[in-house]
Amino acid sequence: MTDAEILAGITEVARDHLGWEGALRPEMRLVGEMQLDSLKLLTLAIEVENRFRVRLDDEDESRIETVADLVAAIRKRRAD
Amino acid sequence: MPTDATTVVELLEWAAAHGEIGVRLLERGEHESWRSWASIRDRALVVCGGLQALGARPGDSVATVFPTGYPFLEAFFGALLAGAVPVPLYPPVRLGRLDEYHRRTAAMLRAVRARVVLADPRVRRLLGPAVLAAEPPLGCLELDALPAGPARAAAVSPDDLGLVQFSSGTTVEPKPVALAHRALVAQARLLNAHWPDRDGAGHSGVSWLPLYHDMGLIGCVLPALERPGPLTLIPPEEFVVRPALWLQAISRYRATLSAAPNFAYALCTRKVRDEEMDGVDLSSWQVAINGAETVVPEVVRGFTDRFARWGFRRAAMTPVYGLSEAALAVTFSDPWRPCRSRHFDRAALAAGRAVPADTGLELVSVGRPLPGFEVAIADGRPGRLDDGQVGRVLVRGPSLMAGYLHQDEATARTLRDGWLDTGDRGFLLDGELHLTGRDKDVLIVNGQNHAPEELERATESLAGVRAGCAVAVAFRPEGAVTDEVLLLVESARDAVVDDPAGLARRCAEQVLAATGVVPARVEVLAPGTLPRTSSGKLRRQEALRRFLDGTLAPPRPVTAALLAGATVRSGLAFLRARLRRGGGRGPA
Repeated sequence: MTDAEILAGITEVARDHLGWEGALRPEMRLVGEMQLDSLKLLTLAIEVENRFRVRLDDEDESRIETVADLVAAIRKRRAD
Repeated sequence: MPTDATTVVELLEWAAAHGEIGVRLLERGEHESWRSWASIRDRALVVCGGLQALGARPGDSVATVFPTGYPFLEAFFGALLAGAVPVPLYPPVRLGRLDEYHRRTAAMLRAVRARVVLADPRVRRLLGPAVLAAEPPLGCLELDALPAGPARAAAVSPDDLGLVQFSSGTTVEPKPVALAHRALVAQARLLNAHWPDRDGAGHSGVSWLPLYHDMGLIGCVLPALERPGPLTLIPPEEFVVRPALWLQAISRYRATLSAAPNFAYALCTRKVRDEEMDGVDLSSWQVAINGAETVVPEVVRGFTDRFARWGFRRAAMTPVYGLSEAALAVTFSDPWRPCRSRHFDRAALAAGRAVPADTGLELVSVGRPLPGFEVAIADGRPGRLDDGQVGRVLVRGPSLMAGYLHQDEATARTLRDGWLDTGDRGFLLDGELHLTGRDKDVLIVNGQNHAPEELERATESLAGVRAGCAVAVAFRPEGAVTDEVLLLVESARDAVVDDPAGLARRCAEQVLAATGVVPARVEVLAPGTLPRTSSGKLRRQEALRRFLDGTLAPPRPVTAALLAGATVRSGLAFLRARLRRGGGRGPA
């Protein structure tokens, strides 16, 4: 799965579960630009895990600040 | 047969003696497991022995950081068996924001002078900086890493502390609420007495509430010991993502009791799909407790109407009032009657009188004091106010806190002559309590408490903002289904604000990054606009009142007044627009 495909998948999750309209750019910050509060971050994390059938690791997770970080974490988990 | 237990340890022993009773856990993918209280007690004894071998002594604060699961219960009861005082803290939220979590956790560990931290293995790896900052003398351990040692259950008296919980998870001035065993047992007993077994059938509970929150631990776990009766736990994060799991579990296990804050009922109404309710039958649900947040009449009606099709009973919805300083519940509405709400004249309410009217502000009754509890309305002068007069809510009863741990001054301000000053405002009418707002400035968003200072300080570092001149207040716009946060910030004296919208957006981003709260509205005001006390302290509720009235204006220059006037007008236009839309933004 390419990064572009992962990004497309995250965009779908954001649309279906967070009501996010429009595109996601890799450099977008989840808390800053996307304005995700704790409940929405939780929703995003779990729905992304369901969608890509991965389990994000806590240590990876604590470093995720941007959409690109999330893409990279999913890529890494899928490779495991 | 009722138990004569006087401590939580005795409650555990009592439940453990009923071998067939225990806790069911529903996890990811609805994986189900079950443990008896006897086996939980046995595992807790191992933790007790480990703590004692490590050097923990009776009375020590033992912080525990676990998600919902058996290890939470083992650590909690293990500390109690050792005569120590468990302090459950919440695990990190998902996806980043770890710096904020470390600050909060370190502040709470320091406030309770934690001697040791027990943590889930996944959580422990993330706790480093918080532990480093707070330096608990015995360190931070996973349960498996505790030394092996013989367990000698300590002698525990009803006046010993049995739990410390935080009234708001804040870095500014965390308030550790210390509760004696006596208070905890009294609260569990009061709750169970309020919903006696009917027709010989025992109650059973389902809860997704966090165990580090009073409604989850004191409201669900302790009554399940005291009765004792079956309890099904769902991790809160699973509920947030799939609220239908909660309703499905109530149906599957024929639960009679389940509790949640207002936002959760709103979330279900909005998010649960009809097809997820296939085969679900909510008719067993006798008491749907609604508390920990303002009970919003539209949300109650929305949930009741929507889920009546699946057997939800109108009479089940049971608004309650309580606070962590009272262990949990203070008032309860009649669990066998539909919840009651009335309209009150807005102008009269603002003048301090509750006058029922055909239209106006609709308020839900949160019921009558539980047996042994008294509620009084006061206005700062000696004596109580009459029925229908709005004032400060004072309570006294059998489950009040012993005090804020290690904070004598804060305790003296809150507990006076046996009365607890709740900081809430309200009135009694026909013996039933109605809440109108808060004197205390705590913000409650999605069931979580936040100190306003946290949000206010988050904006201080921004260029163009006047340091120390921001207020954060919660209010519920008409038509909205939850309370929302309004942030009012003054621009710096020498700043030329040519882009107030941009500055407001940056303030909102700072607040979110620091606290996890999204302010619904940010207003940038001219310097000197916010009302202050004679000593210069900001008056938050007065600022909110003036904002809503449209009278928030700086005392001096014409140019600044124009700026403030413009922002206030845009604020009112925003509120009106929302009113016309007939709905507000909810959580998540």
